[in-house]
Amino acid sequence: MELIRLEHAEIGYVKPLLAPLDLSISRGDRLAVLGPNGGGKSTLLRSLLGLVPLLSGRRVLPQGKPPRLGYVPQAHRADPLYPLTALQVVLQGRYGLVGVGRSPSKADRAAAVTQLGKVGLSEQADKPFRSLSGGQRQRVLLARALCGEPELLVLDEFTSDLDPAASAGLLAEVSGLAQGSGVSVMFVTHEISAAAAHASTVALVDSRRGVFESGPMAQVLTGERLSRLYGQKVQVERRDGRTVVFVESGDAT
Amino acid sequence: MNETLSLSAFWTLFAPSIAAALVAAAVCGVLGFFVVLRRVAFVSAALGQISGLGVATGFLLGTVFGLDPHEHTPVYLDPVMLAIVLSAGTSLLLASVSRVQRASPESTVAFAYITASALAIIVLASPKIVQESHEVTDLLFGSTVAVRREHLVELGVVAAVVLASQFFLFKDFLFVSFDPEMARTLGLPVRRLDMVLNLSVGVAVTVATRAVGALPVFGFLVLPAGAALLAFQSVRVVLIVSVLGAMFAAGFGFYLSAAFDWPTGPMMVVVAAAYWPIAALFRLAGGRQRA
Repeated sequence: MELIRLEHAEIGYVKPLLAPLDLSISRGDRLAVLGPNGGGKSTLLRSLLGLVPLLSGRRVLPQGKPPRLGYVPQAHRADPLYPLTALQVVLQGRYGLVGVGRSPSKADRAAAVTQLGKVGLSEQADKPFRSLSGGQRQRVLLARALCGEPELLVLDEFTSDLDPAASAGLLAEVSGLAQGSGVSVMFVTHEISAAAAHASTVALVDSRRGVFESGPMAQVLTGERLSRLYGQKVQVERRDGRTVVFVESGDAT
Repeated sequence: MNETLSLSAFWTLFAPSIAAALVAAAVCGVLGFFVVLRRVAFVSAALGQISGLGVATGFLLGTVFGLDPHEHTPVYLDPVMLAIVLSAGTSLLLASVSRVQRASPESTVAFAYITASALAIIVLASPKIVQESHEVTDLLFGSTVAVRREHLVELGVVAAVVLASQFFLFKDFLFVSFDPEMARTLGLPVRRLDMVLNLSVGVAVTVATRAVGALPVFGFLVLPAGAALLAFQSVRVVLIVSVLGAMFAAGFGFYLSAAFDWPTGPMMVVVAAAYWPIAALFRLAGGRQRA
């Protein structure tokens, strides 16, 4: 079942970043968005979420309403003024279900506690959100995104502030949680190996080279396409069911 | 000290003024929580200037249409009504502008403050209304010790509406202040909630300023909430301390003013200002980790 689709969409803030593009996400998809810094990945994601209006084209909602979304932004700069606990931040993920002007029920609070436990932070529930480490905060935000029972989980470079081991671990957790609950996932990442490990489809985006391609992972994640995307020679090898990526210095040509 | 001023005499003498100060403090204590968190502390100062512009413009328009400012004027030319409409409109505008990229809240509020100040001075300098300047000041900044009954009633109605909106929408206001993008992805009407909150601040500040004066309102809005946020970690505790702190500053400041014959508004602010060093000491002592 299709959840959301961009049709002939021009994305950008004033001028279009790319030629009109089509992109669709269906239930169970795991879409990785790859591309160099400043290439328009986050703008694509925000356009799909409806946070940035399209310059032209359409954002189609095949169910007649937006899918329930769970959004984890790039490393959240927690405002040190806000006196919120980790649990209160997670509970915010339920507010779409609770509704404006209504108080969260006991079931909502229980759901928040459960999600916090799933990301391994039960003991941090009453700690101030701002006092948590970068990795812990991202886990809290992941729990918040999952707490709203999303149909589509959208992650915008949410592991960019983490070390490689923590980043790989968290992505694996997300993948596991999403697969377990049948949630579709769209994630922006710089880690090609992570995309290969966890995505079923891949979109390559670079506004400077005018690149936008999307399709099944095995078809799109090739050395030739990645070399064109990054302007550097990239080799992709598949070993024992794993995809290994080598980036060589120097020009792709 | 005026040793004959017992608490009962103090209340009997100043009941409407004390009530107005307490109500204004309670409303500002709640709204101040958001004003400080959103880093728009000077919004109160800007709205004061905008109210001034509204009142001055009302008088000017009255003279243009040949109305006597001391007589009953049509509601659309009433200086106070113009002040409220202008403040409310500016509050809504500030809500929209604050979501524009690269427009920081501080610079937007500063723009409103400076522009309104300049325009108010220009309008007040008009020879047509220069003799009404004392009326303008009275309408704008009220009198902390001689609150008119109608001002108290107005303030009570506005306070009831603002506190009711906070009762029902507090969690939503807090969410859209903390993470508006996430709130939008969950389908919350972020812009409308921003507007309601800003409108609350705009109308409450204008009406409270008329009842108790600009300086105490600014103080009630910023000082107790700022100190509470410095000292405590819990939303509930911060909110309660902010409201009770503002009310205590209003009541105790009023009492000190009456007892020592000092200026009332500034005394309230001085009491509220004392919370900051106390909060800083509390934080240094590690109290924030516990509360």
